[in-house]
Amino acid sequence: MTFESSPVQQPQAPAPLSPQEFKATAEAILTNVEWVIEGKSHTIKLALSVMLAEGHLLLEDVPGVGKTQLAKALARSVDCSVRRIQFTPDLLPSDVTGVSIFDPEKRDFVFKPGAIFGNLILGDEINRASPKTQSALLECMEERQVTVDGNTYKLRSPFMVIATQNPVEMEGTYPLPEAQRDRFTARLAIGYPDLKAELELLDRREEYNPLDALRPVADGEMIVRMIAAARAVHLAPELKRYVVDLVTATRTNAQVRLGASPRATLQLLRCTQVLAAMDGRDFALPDDVQQLAVPVLAHRLIPTTETTMGGGDTKAIVSDILRHVPVVSHPGRF
Amino acid sequence: MNGQRHATMVAAATLALTLTPLLGVFEGLGWTFPVLLTITMIAVTGALVRAAGRGQGLQTLAMAAALMVVLTAGFGGGTGFLFIIPMPGTFEHWAQLAGSGVADIVVNAPPVAPEGGILFLTVVGVGIVAILHDMFVVGLRTPALAGLTLLTMYLVPVSVAPEATAWFWFILPAVAYLWILADDNLRRVSAFGHRFTGAGQLVGQGFPSPMARTARWSAVAFIAATLTILTVVPVNTSGLVDRVSGGFGGDGEAYGLGDVNPWAQLSGSLNRPEAVDVLRVTTTDPNPRYLRMHVLDELNNDGFVPNDYDGEAEFDQFARPGIQQEYTAEIENLNSRAPVVPVYGTPTGLDIDGDWLIDADTGVIVGDTMADVGSYTQTYIDPAPDTAELARAPGMDPGDSRWEANTEHPDVPELTEIVQDTTRGASTVHEKVLAVLDHLSVANGFRYSLETSEADSGEAVLDFLTNKSGFCQQYAATMAWMLREADVPARVVIGMSQGRRDGESWILTSHDYHAWVEVYYEGPGWVTYDPTPSGGVPGSVSFPWAAEPADTADDPTAAPDATADPTADPSAGDPSAGDPSEFPNGEAPDGSTGSAADGGSGAGSRFNPAWLALLLVLAVPFVPALWRGGIRRSRLDPQRLSAQSAWSEAADLATDYGVSLSDSLTPRQAGGVLAQAAPGAREAATALGSAMAQHRYAPREAPTAGLADAVTDLRSELDRLAQRRQRLRARFWPASLAAKLAARRSEGDAAMSRRSAQAAEKVRAVVRRRGRSNSRKGGSVTGRP
Repeated sequence: MTFESSPVQQPQAPAPLSPQEFKATAEAILTNVEWVIEGKSHTIKLALSVMLAEGHLLLEDVPGVGKTQLAKALARSVDCSVRRIQFTPDLLPSDVTGVSIFDPEKRDFVFKPGAIFGNLILGDEINRASPKTQSALLECMEERQVTVDGNTYKLRSPFMVIATQNPVEMEGTYPLPEAQRDRFTARLAIGYPDLKAELELLDRREEYNPLDALRPVADGEMIVRMIAAARAVHLAPELKRYVVDLVTATRTNAQVRLGASPRATLQLLRCTQVLAAMDGRDFALPDDVQQLAVPVLAHRLIPTTETTMGGGDTKAIVSDILRHVPVVSHPGRF
Repeated sequence: MNGQRHATMVAAATLALTLTPLLGVFEGLGWTFPVLLTITMIAVTGALVRAAGRGQGLQTLAMAAALMVVLTAGFGGGTGFLFIIPMPGTFEHWAQLAGSGVADIVVNAPPVAPEGGILFLTVVGVGIVAILHDMFVVGLRTPALAGLTLLTMYLVPVSVAPEATAWFWFILPAVAYLWILADDNLRRVSAFGHRFTGAGQLVGQGFPSPMARTARWSAVAFIAATLTILTVVPVNTSGLVDRVSGGFGGDGEAYGLGDVNPWAQLSGSLNRPEAVDVLRVTTTDPNPRYLRMHVLDELNNDGFVPNDYDGEAEFDQFARPGIQQEYTAEIENLNSRAPVVPVYGTPTGLDIDGDWLIDADTGVIVGDTMADVGSYTQTYIDPAPDTAELARAPGMDPGDSRWEANTEHPDVPELTEIVQDTTRGASTVHEKVLAVLDHLSVANGFRYSLETSEADSGEAVLDFLTNKSGFCQQYAATMAWMLREADVPARVVIGMSQGRRDGESWILTSHDYHAWVEVYYEGPGWVTYDPTPSGGVPGSVSFPWAAEPADTADDPTAAPDATADPTADPSAGDPSAGDPSEFPNGEAPDGSTGSAADGGSGAGSRFNPAWLALLLVLAVPFVPALWRGGIRRSRLDPQRLSAQSAWSEAADLATDYGVSLSDSLTPRQAGGVLAQAAPGAREAATALGSAMAQHRYAPREAPTAGLADAVTDLRSELDRLAQRRQRLRARFWPASLAAKLAARRSEGDAAMSRRSAQAAEKVRAVVRRRGRSNSRKGGSVTGRP
């Protein structure tokens, strides 16, 4: 199977970016976001890589660690349209996708676009919406188009959904079914800041919210070019083999009931390309893969009941797989 | 562990089994004790070191040390420290022993007494083989390779004593080899806990498998088939003997006299590089002539063969001294094991231990072996017929009972022609003898050489007459044959020449073995002639009656007194010092001929194989280091250097120095681990990892500049930081090498199990097919489904 030939819509042919330009731009965005979210550069880097891999991001963490801040900062750093949807139990699918309203003047139905028609969609507390609404959003994420009353409307490019979810306060929520999480390229947790970062956070926010002072450092067109540039990053056969070996290992692991899908393989490779490009390289390394394996694979796995009861979690399983799958397989050996 | 102990025992036992052909080489069983002790010591040492959990390198070292201890204790001659630790003096002693051992091997025909140098060489050889054998069978578990060591052990006696190729000597080594293979396989299969049988049942450990019977029968059939081939296919067992005797001598058959072929012993002794003292003679004779040993008076298609010495006479029937001078010789036996007593001239008395008889026809004293004789005393007269007497003497009467035996010869028309040409105009026996001697002289272009070459005539005697090059064997046989062609009774005598003067006595070495001719005259009896050019024979003596009467005045060698001086004191050990004045026309043989002559000890032949063996033993511990170094050099060779090869070297260095690099590490991470292990070479390690990452994952080749230096830096830093033990291990028994061997082994195992699975599948398929057809057939016959 060749990953490049997969049917993914091509963006308009922009001028190619050099690795150095790519790196510089990416660093500018990262610095910008880090201004708001202190001490989480690695998480931010992964979040950006998901964006540039045309994926969607699921932020899952306890309240108050900056999920929404991260999404907002990322959105503001890129000069593009940002829409925010606060998911609540009474949110309807049409609120997301849009609705056709009868215009008495034209004596016709006119389509009124929903919140999904933006470049960057921030879906806050996605687990609070009803499954019906959730699935409407998830469909848009996958199809990158909306069909209302028989008319199909294309979504913008770049298009990215950043959804947040609170894993603790589960009462009255509809947690995303594991199978649906597969639509998200990566799941990230932000975690508490360390002592130094938290002190800095206090200092910085004494007078104003740094989010308000954030200025965009890239525009939508630049993002499209970066996406294209990242797809040109070289993937050596050994690297592809390594990625496939990793994904296969999740499927054969005894602690896992459902392993990662081929979509996971694809998305892992694309993120790998982005991470390599952000490092100024035109070829990807297994080191890139290893950084991404847990965020990209862990949320897609369904552990066996025994694992769950035993307190195991899928992040640990993926980490374990990383420790055991050889980086270079020995085809001649067995 | 238990399995390993068992395997150690099997290795030692199989090696001991393979030694059985040595029974044919040695006299008695005295050799078995030191040899078995050596095997046991080595096996026990190996097992102990293994039990202590040490690696193969240490095991081998320890076993070599055990061998050294055994050798020092048994053969050190008291030179070792505390009698068991070899000192420099010990090695010198060993070198001497080895030298004399090599000499003994060349001089003596088996069976030999198990003592001195031969026993030393045997123990050294067995020891080295035992170490290798233990390594193959137990350490490396490559029992198939153990066949090589067993073969080595089997070949030694077989090549020394051709009679050891007798079929029954093959059985025990073959059984030993099969034992090793079976035992190893059993160990391997038992590791699974249960063994599978043909009937599909499992057999517990320790119970005999029903398949064992089949296996045993297969083994018996295999050995039987091999033996059949060995006995049916003609095997040339004479080997060396046949090659050097070149058709003049026998064909390597045994002669019933201690199994010695005199021709083979003669040429073997002359060809051996260093001389061994054989006899020491003190005689009242100022210029002793030759010591007679064998008489070869039967000439058939194989050349001259020894008389069977059956016309035995009583021991005291010696000739009575007449008016001639009687001499007394005291002869000390230094190294002779001949089945005949070497005697001078015509013996008049002999005082010797043993059960000896005189052969009436030949005067040879036979019946016992010289091996048991320390010294003996002989009185003799030196028959010296004068030329005039010989010139008058008639030949043997054709009606004599001995005529037939001493003139018969194969029919070679070309030779008849040559002899007719040579002896044309010669009427008396003496004239014929002189004519033949003249034909074989240096003046006629004949020269001395131990290297005999063949012409294409198909007859060795004609080849010699064409090539005009040979040594005493050819000269003596040809002269005797030519005389027989001319109807003169003649025979070949093998014995020893004069030797060299050593104070009051004479030393006769193995280089002094010689062959000459006796011609029969009615009256004087058997008269000695030596046709071999004297320049080639160190202790050669001239026989005044061999010169033509007319030349006597001109030839300084003609007078017995004159002869005595130049030949009585030929400079010791220098074969080319043969007196040139002995050549009638003053022509010396060419230099190369002289030095390659009976002396045979040219400068180039001072090589002592024992040193080579010792060197090899000492080199064994360095083999892994040299191998590892070779791998490193080839990887860092600027011509072939790539990021991959540099990285392979770095990874192997990590293995050698105990830095664990998991398979799941990326090259950069592995470089990081190396950098942590060798902080001083952080940059080198990182550069190597990055280069490898780029080599493997980038679309273009990684630059190789500085990688070789990086590897060197990394190595010296790892070496500097390593513990002493780790460092020694990394140098002399690198773990990466062991890992490579293990990997190769497991690959081999995997391939084998794959093959056996395929074979089993095939068998199963056949069985299924047969099963189906059987059931159909059964159904039709019995009428039941």
